[in-house]
Amino acid sequence: MTERLKQLYKTIILKHNNEPCQFEKREEAQYKLEAYNPLCGDHFHLYLNLEENLIKQISFFGYGCAISKAATSVLVKQMEGLDLDSAQALCLEFEKVIQSDQIHNKGNEAFEAFGAVKEFPARLPCVKLSWMEMTNFLKDQLSNKKSASDQ
Amino acid sequence: MFGSTLLRREFPIFNYNPQLIYLDSAATSHKPSRVIDGITDFYKKENSSIHRGVYELAARATQKYESVRQKVSNFIGAQKTSEIIYTSGTTSAINLVAQSFLAPRLKGGDRVIVSALEHHANLIPWQMACKKAGAQLKIIPIDDFGNIDLNAFKQLLTSRTKLVAVTHVSNVLGTMIPISEMIEMAHQQGVPVLVDGAQSAAHYPIDVKMLDCDFFTFSGHKIFGPTGIGILYGKADLLAEMEPCKYGGDMIRRVTYQETTFADAPQKFEAGTTNIAGVIGLGYAIDFINRFDKKEMSDFIADLGAYTRSALLGIEGLSILGDTQKKSGIVSFTLDGIHPHDIATFLGEYNIAIRAGHHCAQPLMALFGVPATSRISFSIYNNRKEVDFLVEKLKAIQQFLA
Repeated sequence: MTERLKQLYKTIILKHNNEPCQFEKREEAQYKLEAYNPLCGDHFHLYLNLEENLIKQISFFGYGCAISKAATSVLVKQMEGLDLDSAQALCLEFEKVIQSDQIHNKGNEAFEAFGAVKEFPARLPCVKLSWMEMTNFLKDQLSNKKSASDQ
Repeated sequence: MFGSTLLRREFPIFNYNPQLIYLDSAATSHKPSRVIDGITDFYKKENSSIHRGVYELAARATQKYESVRQKVSNFIGAQKTSEIIYTSGTTSAINLVAQSFLAPRLKGGDRVIVSALEHHANLIPWQMACKKAGAQLKIIPIDDFGNIDLNAFKQLLTSRTKLVAVTHVSNVLGTMIPISEMIEMAHQQGVPVLVDGAQSAAHYPIDVKMLDCDFFTFSGHKIFGPTGIGILYGKADLLAEMEPCKYGGDMIRRVTYQETTFADAPQKFEAGTTNIAGVIGLGYAIDFINRFDKKEMSDFIADLGAYTRSALLGIEGLSILGDTQKKSGIVSFTLDGIHPHDIATFLGEYNIAIRAGHHCAQPLMALFGVPATSRISFSIYNNRKEVDFLVEKLKAIQQFLA
């Protein structure tokens, strides 16, 4: 196995692929986000319940490649219990890790693993798939809350 | 000869990428030097607009451009060069037929028939035409092996059927459709047939007169030619009835401020400055293919396909999609628990290029209950040694990702 592949498919990614966190369908969830890439068929739903400003419960279900599944698993693991602002900050951090040339050094082991995707640009859509949907969701939620408090 | 180092040397891509094992020719084929040099030479030595200038350079460019029409006509067994329309590819050729031929004829309650195997390019234009007209789009079913159900097809042909559109070779399953029988059955009901030859034109002998198909389409870039050029063959009487749907220069007879009369086919369907260099390149690509016996070519591809199927079936957890009896050089497969994208990434690290995804055939994927597959597709620069290496690496992927 090449070194590049080993970097991309680090143990942590394989672990999340094989044993994904909160991997369950919850149709009754308060919010259901769809993360779908029509080019490759990766297709996940994220199920969320918010309480006040907190992500009280989050799970996901669907089909995708090891990278997209692991990225989504890491998302749900790290998002649960966060308030919306912290969740948004985490999304920004993730985007920096996978896009920036700088080596991530903030101790988020899962994020570090995904940094290797930069060597495989064709897989960037896989790693970003669910994170982009989450980013858009949080943007809407925070913007709605701001409008509500401005009135 | 096919698959040999000598033949591979004619393709510069393998000189620049000596380790490349390219198993994605159904997506696009590689180009021999003669095609690449021919296009460059045209731009260097003969470049000019066509049909418009009277100076020497323009005359030479026009002659060269039109001579390719004759080459294409001979290549597919057409009778007249006026039956050969230059388009930008198979997709635009099919869309041209949908807009110019079908749309004026299609009324509410009419029917168009396509097969379950179709690429989006030979499905969506008909879907849209049917939606606009209030017509029905009927799908010819296939069996688990990817074979067309001819009895079901016969049942679908009614007096309200205005067109049958089918692929010659499935870009996913590699199924070779029995188009001769289907054309005969359709014609018995007075129904015209379009054949999408995108996956057959490179490797299989095509004779549109013997097939008696009403339309035949293919792309230059899949037959060792450049991108941006394709061919629509249409029977002369049908093309004569069709109104153009793209308007501009070159496709006219007479223009006033208020009125225009159009030229005859093929010019009436070739508005504006076409992809002249693309046409020139297509001509060189046909010259290249004409060096070979097409029967030997198709036998070579079929043999490689059969060898691959046999080797793949020795891998535990691997399923070949629709393992049709009518084999070609296209094989799609799934590997238990491993997504095609991950397979393609792994193989890519070893310079093995395969395709992963839905291959522009989402309904077909849904029929087989898979969101995506890995696809191998061969051409004349592939060989068994490459297949052996592929199989070795597929087994290695299983070990790594298990």
